[in-house]
Order: sequence, then structure tokens, then C-alpha cells
Amino acid sequence: MNKKGTLLRQAAAYPHIVWSLLFIIAPLIFVAYYAFTDKEGNFTFDNISAMAEPSYLEVFLRSLCFAFLATVICLVIAYPVAYFISKTSPKMQKILIMLVTLPQWLNFLIRTYSWMALLEDTGIINSLLVSIGLDPIHMINTPFAVILGMVYNFLPYMIIPLHSVMAKIDVRLLEAASDLGCNQFQVMTRVVLPLSKSGIISGITMVFVPSISTFYISQKLGGGNFDLIGDTIERQFQTAYNYNLGAAMSFVLMILIIISMAVMNKYSDDDGGVIV
Amino acid sequence: MKKSSIPSIIYTVLIFAFLYLPIGVLILYSFNSSDSTGVMEGFSFKWYKELFTDSATLTALRNTLVLAILSSVISTIIGTAAAYGISKMSNKHLKNATMSVTQIPMINPEIVTGISMMLLFVFVGGMIGSSTSLGFGTVLIAHITFNLPYVILLVLPKFKEMDKNLPEAARDLGCTPFQSFFKVELPAIMPGIVAGFIMAFTLSLDDFVISYFTTGSGFETLPIRIYSMTKKRVTPDMYALSTLIFVTILVLLLLSNLSNDKNKKEMSKRAKKVAKIAGGTAFGGIIIATIVLICVSAGTRSVTLNVYNWGEYISDGGEGSYNVNAEFEKWYEEDYYERTGEKIDVRINYTTYASNEDLYAKLKSGAGGYDVIIPSDYMLEKLKIEGLIQPLGSVSTIKEAIPNLEYLNPQFEEMFVYPNEKGELELYGAMYTYGVVGIVYNADKLAPEDLEKIEKGEMGWELIYGQEYMEKYKGQILQFNNSRDAFGTAMYHLGYNVNTATVDQWEEAYRLLQSQKPYVQGYVMDEIYNKMEGGEAAIAAYYAGDCLAMMENNESLGFFYPSKNNGTLFETNIFADAMCIPTGSQNKELALSYINFMLSEDAAVANAEYIYYSSPYDHVKENLDYQLYMGLYDYVYVLDENGEYILDENGEPLIVLDENGDPVYELTEDGGDYAVIYYSDFESSLKIMFDSYAYKDLDTAQGANITTSGLNDYWESLKVDSTSFGSSVYIVCAVILAVIIVIFVVYFVRKRRQRRYYWNNTSDPKPLPQVSVGADSDPLSETITLAAIRAQEKKQDANKEEHIKPDEVKKGPQIKTIRTDKRTTVILPADKIIKG
Repeated sequence: MNKKGTLLRQAAAYPHIVWSLLFIIAPLIFVAYYAFTDKEGNFTFDNISAMAEPSYLEVFLRSLCFAFLATVICLVIAYPVAYFISKTSPKMQKILIMLVTLPQWLNFLIRTYSWMALLEDTGIINSLLVSIGLDPIHMINTPFAVILGMVYNFLPYMIIPLHSVMAKIDVRLLEAASDLGCNQFQVMTRVVLPLSKSGIISGITMVFVPSISTFYISQKLGGGNFDLIGDTIERQFQTAYNYNLGAAMSFVLMILIIISMAVMNKYSDDDGGVIV
Repeated sequence: MKKSSIPSIIYTVLIFAFLYLPIGVLILYSFNSSDSTGVMEGFSFKWYKELFTDSATLTALRNTLVLAILSSVISTIIGTAAAYGISKMSNKHLKNATMSVTQIPMINPEIVTGISMMLLFVFVGGMIGSSTSLGFGTVLIAHITFNLPYVILLVLPKFKEMDKNLPEAARDLGCTPFQSFFKVELPAIMPGIVAGFIMAFTLSLDDFVISYFTTGSGFETLPIRIYSMTKKRVTPDMYALSTLIFVTILVLLLLSNLSNDKNKKEMSKRAKKVAKIAGGTAFGGIIIATIVLICVSAGTRSVTLNVYNWGEYISDGGEGSYNVNAEFEKWYEEDYYERTGEKIDVRINYTTYASNEDLYAKLKSGAGGYDVIIPSDYMLEKLKIEGLIQPLGSVSTIKEAIPNLEYLNPQFEEMFVYPNEKGELELYGAMYTYGVVGIVYNADKLAPEDLEKIEKGEMGWELIYGQEYMEKYKGQILQFNNSRDAFGTAMYHLGYNVNTATVDQWEEAYRLLQSQKPYVQGYVMDEIYNKMEGGEAAIAAYYAGDCLAMMENNESLGFFYPSKNNGTLFETNIFADAMCIPTGSQNKELALSYINFMLSEDAAVANAEYIYYSSPYDHVKENLDYQLYMGLYDYVYVLDENGEYILDENGEPLIVLDENGDPVYELTEDGGDYAVIYYSDFESSLKIMFDSYAYKDLDTAQGANITTSGLNDYWESLKVDSTSFGSSVYIVCAVILAVIIVIFVVYFVRKRRQRRYYWNNTSDPKPLPQVSVGADSDPLSETITLAAIRAQEKKQDANKEEHIKPDEVKKGPQIKTIRTDKRTTVILPADKIIKG
């Protein structure tokens, strides 16, 4: 292909590049600017160092833990489901995947509200438990409820990438493996698992990032008792009007996520040698 | 293929049940005739009917759809072009840089994307001096931005999968580059484009966080509307709407799936072509319709009034009530025609917010363009000080502009009146409603001695702040999730004047709230409705009108005003909401007539009945319909000999009529519980209460030596304050993390050992290489794995740059190592691979 033609074709990407510079890069520069200035616009590290206060550290730690647990649970739950779906007929796969995405079309605020009604002490689940003679379980306003909300909301983001990778695995490989003496478990760990690594990684990303930054779920299902990073950032912009602190938190959160991503990509890139 | 085992089917069904459980619940609630999710009352279609009369919700729905269609179409076009360009890029650095930047919105948390764009828009808006820097345009830009990466990442692989010779062949056969793109390349990447479009559409439809930060005056999407219902309750017509959306999409998707299958089997080539054209036309039609819709709505000559109000804070025509906004539009158009003989098209752009703080944040961040806003007292003061609202007019002449102010009860005449520099008195807000904070309790859950105390009027704020009571009702108390009311009530409990309190006193209140935290079930706003009605909590402080609404749904609930001094003076916080005109309003004259209309008898009564808060206007208080509604009076009913109602043909009880045929009514026995709670009891102390509501004058620094932002800081530390909650989570987390680390350590150590083993034995090809996937296994299964990897690598070849290191190849003549971006793979000579 001649060079001029290539350049010309490349130009198709220019609107996007310009768009990205204007609306992705420029806003991030603003976040950095606010994070490192005070209200008068003078350069300062105060906002960043405020993150080191025990209360904010705890918020970060709590968010990390909640998001981590939600991600692990999502992965554990979603993996068999995705595998099962990928083993059905193509038509069935299409329908099942559609059913996985369907709840996402409904507003997540409303869905979270439904969970509130389900989990309350006098809610639907506990009423059922009581009616069959069991003791009610306290669920709402506990870490469990918040993590459940995260798992529920972001589970499809785990199932879909896993499924799309698994669906591409050549069935003959699995058959060959079991013909050659692998049991079900070995087929899973030796063939399916390595081949679905990229799906696992994108699934983890797609669950972890929204979980760590959510702010509605913790308010509604946690009863406002568990302040997560998302809540704290939201409050800086909506009620405390401390844009600088809010921007600093966003900045730290962003760095945190970039580091996690880098770590994950590192060990997925690397053939060994480096341990996490 | 092997049949799926029964346990795995059961497992999958269970997971699907988990995904659909809340949807089942919301469908259930959409048919529940009660408006509380805490109470099931019976089957009814009422919320569906309600939905179609709720114009604000329908507008929000339309906005959401328009936004989703526009943003997904635009991002699909830009994204597809970008994917094409990126796939043709020869400069690797440029390509990598572009891809990295593209992925930022996917990796970045939504909230960071949202605030970063808000900061940009506010800054640019400020630079060009626009009063309305946030609005439809900014939301659209934000949506396109976060949709783009998904489109690109779904389309790009299709370009790579496509046979590169195809376009060349097409051109060899005489196609122009254009033709080759549209005839050859486009069909090949079509599945990716469609997937990208659907993905973008879905994301845009469901987005709340980014819209929340980037939207401005006059543009409200459905998620924002739902969020702003957080002072009042989420109305069940939202459940009805969700049910309808769910069913529609389910049917559509099932139909398209079924018909697709049929297409493939039965349709002839020609029929397929027809279907394709039909599909294309439908798609194009939607786009054109959207564009036309936008052009038309932009092109109509009309005056728009942007009203920004609390969620659920106006009579909206639901359940046959008076639709204030629609009536105003009608009235104004007719009135204008009579006055000037010209036609005018007035449209009220009604949007909602969840709290005073939300309102302030929006105004402050440059979302100007509002014409009427309804802040509460302390926020009105703050807005006035910061110059964000303008006076409605001078007190001496204001009744010419708003004649209905003459019905304002004299004790409120001084509210929101401030002198200007010349000493002239100006009115900044026309009162809308007021209310008092009291305590709502569940009589079933309170100890008899406490109930007695309440009945005697001896109970004060100690019910939620006293140590003894907090311990008694641990986990049963709900606290405000809003700093002003939480601090205010705490100050009343401590017995300090909220108006002249010193820093020490506020700090004491902060410590009180802190000590209360372990005893509190939750910090709530609107959730309080369902929680109190459902018997989830025992005690909560909330606004009187809302508490009455709760009592209607649960008979065990009671309400009282805390008073220490035997009820002579209520020691509680009071609020007043007033209609104001922001500084940037383009339409003051129209805004004033809107305010006047809101105070006209019909509208004011309808609003008072809808909102359930007290009205400061005499013509509302004395309105018979209102008094009947509030239970001060009741009709006299025709009774049979057993004292039962006699029903007419509609199932309504028969009413006694007087000689003119008008219904007879009488004062109810309890004098109207509502009227008592609302008006009579604190009438005398109202003025005193309004002289010292929480946060009053804090920022003007008269006597108070702390500002509202100082209090916000206290609230902030209360909220982030670490409590004993969730320590088990940390332990579980640490354990899982430890397990994962152990697994990886074992895994990598093993792998490393194997690798060393392999390289040490390269001269002898016999022992099969152990690679990333296997350990101490039989050679054959190892081979399979390798074959699997190779197959996968082959597929991914197109995506990866290969660098074969010559020295590595030399090491073992039969085995070559390929270093790819992702992993090192050892590929065996062909004869070692068992063909799958």
C-alpha cells in the first residue's frame, strides 16, 4: 500500500484523536490542577497529604477491601456460569447472554431500591424465613449488603468477557484433553483456565473499577454507615464544596487504579519470574 | 457434545434467579396499590395510569432516549472511523498512544470521568463568560466520550480479523477506495459496529454518575429524576415504568433472536436483501426522526421557563390532581393573548434536585439558566450573600408583581426581606411551604413507659440522643443524612441556641452525633418512608408533613414534637422553602407570574395537599377542600340502623346533603389530627422559631463564630469517621489475599523451576518442555495444552507483533520460542502436535 494512501486512511482516526485530547486528556489535567492547588489557586500538597489522615486512609482501605471482595466473589460466581453458557448451543448462548445483560437496561438506582426491600429486617427475604419458621437474619446496613449490591450490579460485567473468551475455545481441545486422560478438573485448570486468562483480566477490571468508586450502593444498602471513596468524593463536590480535596481524592483513586491495572497486566504479561 | 450436568444447570438457574430477583420485586411493587414498599395492599394498575399522566417523568424518559440515541449514533460514527484509522496506522507509537488514551474512560472510575469533565466545562464556561456552562450539550459530549472506547474496542478487532486481501482484491477488480470500503470492508465489520452501537446505547441509557455531574439547567434524564426523589419517596410509577421497559426489551430481543434464526434458514437471498434494506431504513428512520425532533424542538418559537425544584414537590396531575405546570402554561398563553393579541408558546422546563446542597452545587458550578428555584431558608441566605439570587422586588411594590402575596399570613411577612444598600426593603423569596422537624415513632416497638412520657408531652430529644434511650433502642434509630438537621436537632437536645452558638457548642453537638453513630441504624433521607412504614426502625426525626404521610400507611406510627418545658415552646428545628429567582434568569417577568400562579388558590391548595407540608397562606388554610383533605372537617355520612355507611352505585359512602344539594360537613372529633400537628399548636411560637432556625445567619457572622462550611467539615469528619463496622470484612479480605498470594507464589516458583529444567535440557529434545500451563503431568496432556496455546496464539497473531529472537531459535533447532506481548510460548515441531 502506498504511503499517501495509508496517511489518508489514518486520517479517519483524527476526529477521535482530537476528541480524546479535548475531552479525555484536558479534563484529567484539570483534575490534577485542582488536586495540587488550594482554593486561591496556589500550588499546594495539602490536598494530597490530607489523604494520609487516618480517617481518609480508612475510607480508602475500606473501599479497596469491599471492591476486592466483590471482585473475587463475582469471579468465583461468574466463572462456572460463563463456562456453562459457552457449552450450550449458539442459539441458546445468544439468548442466555441477552438474559445476563437484560437487567442492565433497567435503572440501577431502582434495582438497588429493590434490594433494600429484599434485605431489610422486615423485608421480603426475612418475611419468607420467618414464615417457614426460621430466624430472621440481619442483612441491611451491613458490609454484606453493600458487597452484595456491588456483586449484583457488576456481575454481568464479569460474565460477558469470560463468556466471550470461552466461546472461542476450540471444543476439540477439551475433547482431546479428556480423551487423553484429563479429568474434568484437569481440563478446567490446564486448558480452560489458561485460555480464558484475558477474559478473567478484563472481567476483573470491569468489576473492580466501578466497585471501588460506587457511591449510591453504599448509601442505600449500607445505610450511610460505610463511607466509600465514591461517597467521599461525591460529598466534596455536592455538599462540602471542596473541589480541591475532591479532585485530590479522584487523583489518588485514579493512580491507585492505574497501579492495580499495571500490576495485573504485569503478571499477565510476564511469563513468570516476577511475583505480583 | 456432552450433555450439561444437572448440578451445573441448577447452579446457572440459581444465578439467573439472583439476577432477576430484584426485577421480580419491582414488578411486584408496580402492581401494589400502596405507595410504600414496606406495605403490601393489593393488586392495582394505578401506578401505570399515574405514569402516563406524569409529564415530568415522560419528559425525562424522552430526554434519556434522545440522549442515548444521539450519543450512541455519534460515537458509533466517530468510533468506527477511528477504528479504521487506527487499524491502518503504521506508526506504532502513535497507535499505542491512541489506544492508551482511548482506554482511559473505560479504566477511569465513572465518578472521576464525571467530575473531570465537569471541571473542564465549568472552566471553559467561565472563560467564555457563559452563564449556562452545563446543559444538554455537555451531557451529550460526556456520553459520547465514555461511549467511544467501547465502540472502538468492539469494531477494531473486526478490522483485524478481516482478510487484508479483500479490499485490495476489490480495488483490483475496479472498485474505488470508497466503493471498496462500503462494499467490502463495511459489511465485514458490521457485526462489530452493531455490537458497539448497542453497547453505547445501553451504557448511555443507564448512566447516572456522569450525567449527574455534567447536566445543567433544563435537562433531566430518568436516572437523575429518580435520584432527586430522595427527600420524598421514589414514586411507584417508576416501578411501573421499569416494568414496561423490561417487558418491551424482553419482547424485542426475543423476537429479534427468533426471527434471525428463521431468516437464516428460510429466507431466500432476495428476502434477506429486503430485510437488510428494511433494517437499514428503520435504523436511518430512527436517526432522522431524532434529528428532526431536535431541530423541531429547537426551531419552535417559544418561551421556556426553567424551574428547578425539589423532587416530588409540586402537584403534578397524578391521581386526578391539579397539574400546576400544565395549568400555568395554558393560563399564561391565554392571558398573554388577551393582553397583547399575540400568540406565545410557553414551555416549563421542570427539573428536580435532591437537596439544598445539590442545588447550590449546580448553581455554583455554573449551571445557570434557571428562572425559578425553591431553596430552604438557610440556603436562600447563603445564595443571597453570594449574589446567586436576585430580589423579587421591593417590598412596597411587590404585590403589584405577585398579587397573591396578599394572602400570606402576617407572621411571615418579614421572612426573606433584606434591606439593600439604600436601606430599601427587598423581598428575596416568596414562601412556598414551611415545616417543623419532629419525631416519628413506632408505638409497637417503644416501651410503655416511654409511650406514656410522649403522651404526656414530656419527651424531648433525649429519645434519640439520650444515652439511656440510645442503648435501649440501639439499631432502631434513623438519623438524618443531612448536616443541617442532624446538627440542629443535636443542638436542641443540648439546649443551645442554634443561632448564637459558639464553636465549642457546635463541637459538643458534633461529639454527640459521633457518640450516637454506633447506635444508629442508618443515615437516611427518603428511605425513611419505607423503613418506618415497614416497621424496620422504631424512631426517627423527620419533617412533620412527611411523618403524617407515613402514618397513613402504618397505624402503629405516632408523631410528636419534642418539648422539654411541658409544651410551652417547641424545641425543634423549623424550615421554610421559598421561591426565588436566580441572578442569571433571562425571564424575570415570566418567572414572577409563575410564582404568582403557584400562589393562586387552586395551585397552592393542590400543592399543599400534594406536598403535605404546612402552607403559610391563609387562603389555603381556610380552603374547605384543603380542610376536608387534611381531616379538620369531614362530611356527614348517611348511616343505616347499624351505624354502617350506605354505599352508592360507585361504592362510595352516601353523604348527607343540605337543601341546596351541597354536602354537609362537620368538625371532626379529634379536631383534625393533621390540623393540630400542622398549625394550631405552634402558631404562637412560630415567630420565635423562625428567629433561630439552624444555620441562620451563620455566614453573616453576627454573633456566630463558625461558618456553614466549618460545620460541613464537622459533618465530613462524622461521615468518614472510622467506626467498628466492617472489621470482619478486613479479615476476610486479608485471608483471601493471602490465599491468592500463596497460590501465585507456588505457581510461579514451580514454573520457574520447570523453565530452568527445560533450558538445562535443550540439547535433548526428549523430555517435553514444561510451560506456563502445566505441572508434573503426563507428557501427552502437556502436548495438548501446548497445542491449545498454539491454536490460541494463531488466532491472536493478528493482534500481536511477533519478534522472534534469533539466538533463542538457534538454541534448540526443533523448538522455537516466540516472544509475544502477552506471554512466551514454546512451540513444538509440527510432528509433536496432535491435530485436534
